[in-house]
Amino acid sequence: MSTGGVDQERRQRLIKLASATAFLAIVVIAVLIVVSQSGSDGGDASSVEGAAEIRKDLSGIPQRGLVLGDPGAKVKLIEFGDLQCPVCKGYAEEILPEVIGSKVRNGEARLEFRNFTIINEESIDAAAAAIAAGEQGRGWDFIELFYKNQGIEASGYVTDEFLTAIAEGAGVEDIERWNASRQSGRTLAKVEAETSEAGDLGLSGTPSFVVEGPLVDGGKRVLGTPGSAGELEDAIEGAG
Amino acid sequence: MQAPAEGTLRTIATFVATLGAGVATYIAIAEADGGAPACFAGGGGCETVAASSHSELAGIGVAVIGIGGYLLLLGAALLRGDAGRLAGFGLALVGFGFSVYLTYLELFVIDAICQWCVASAALMTVLFTVNALRMVRYVGAEP
Repeated sequence: MSTGGVDQERRQRLIKLASATAFLAIVVIAVLIVVSQSGSDGGDASSVEGAAEIRKDLSGIPQRGLVLGDPGAKVKLIEFGDLQCPVCKGYAEEILPEVIGSKVRNGEARLEFRNFTIINEESIDAAAAAIAAGEQGRGWDFIELFYKNQGIEASGYVTDEFLTAIAEGAGVEDIERWNASRQSGRTLAKVEAETSEAGDLGLSGTPSFVVEGPLVDGGKRVLGTPGSAGELEDAIEGAG
Repeated sequence: MQAPAEGTLRTIATFVATLGAGVATYIAIAEADGGAPACFAGGGGCETVAASSHSELAGIGVAVIGIGGYLLLLGAALLRGDAGRLAGFGLALVGFGFSVYLTYLELFVIDAICQWCVASAALMTVLFTVNALRMVRYVGAEP
């Protein structure tokens, strides 16, 4: 009888210990979540970084609108991207620099960015801002600087303040004109048309690539999302 | 309904924790060189999740943290008595809670689903259920 009481008492004590363990576990989860949130970089209008590096990387390559490279190049590589998309950022930083260095800088191909706004309304704001920067010859500086400073997807960081900081960092000279243009119906219609085009091509994610050239059957080939710079370079070679 | 024997619960926990460590190891290896695990259904979900800033926690890959978590859960499953019961329950609760948070991020922030992460979340849910049952039913009992 007394042994049963002792067992019951011990079990009660252990249940209390388990409750304390559960509380501790919940605290640990909360700490993990806080660390996860605080460790997120980018999306900060007050600390836009990398403008000089990007300017150096792109120097000497012609830009017109969102087209990078010789406008007369016989092969056109088109990227359909969403500026909020983290995979597009990965491409911009790890894959495209090699393609730009080997195929765009020498005039073999031109690289065109088209907006495929799949994430949320802020993607449309970002896309319109890029097009407006392109009108002042800073489209690719804007795109690359945006990616460099990209924040957490759909977290609300794409504010007017953030976009203005990117435009200024990208070297857009007339911010007033850029502001008017990015909010104009014409620019927003262009964003919508590019996204519709991506849908018509059957693209389902970003970034997706399309190559156009004289050796491509039908003039246009959908590449999807190649895994390496080499695949994009091969596609360019095969198209022209 | 009678609860399964503690030995059965520990065997299930051992098997599931080992499987979880395997899944986390695969994800960690696939992401090590900037890549992503292969998503069988396509759609780029695994690439999107792997490229997300949420795939790291204080500079450490979430998958690497997962390996550590599963190995600790494996240790708790192998440990007899109340120490194993309490440790298993606490660790599984942390793992389960963090998995819920990561699944929320996939669905509502990253907007992409990685099948391997879903598999890991499912395994963690099983581990939490088994360890909670072990703790509630057997704590205080003879090992």
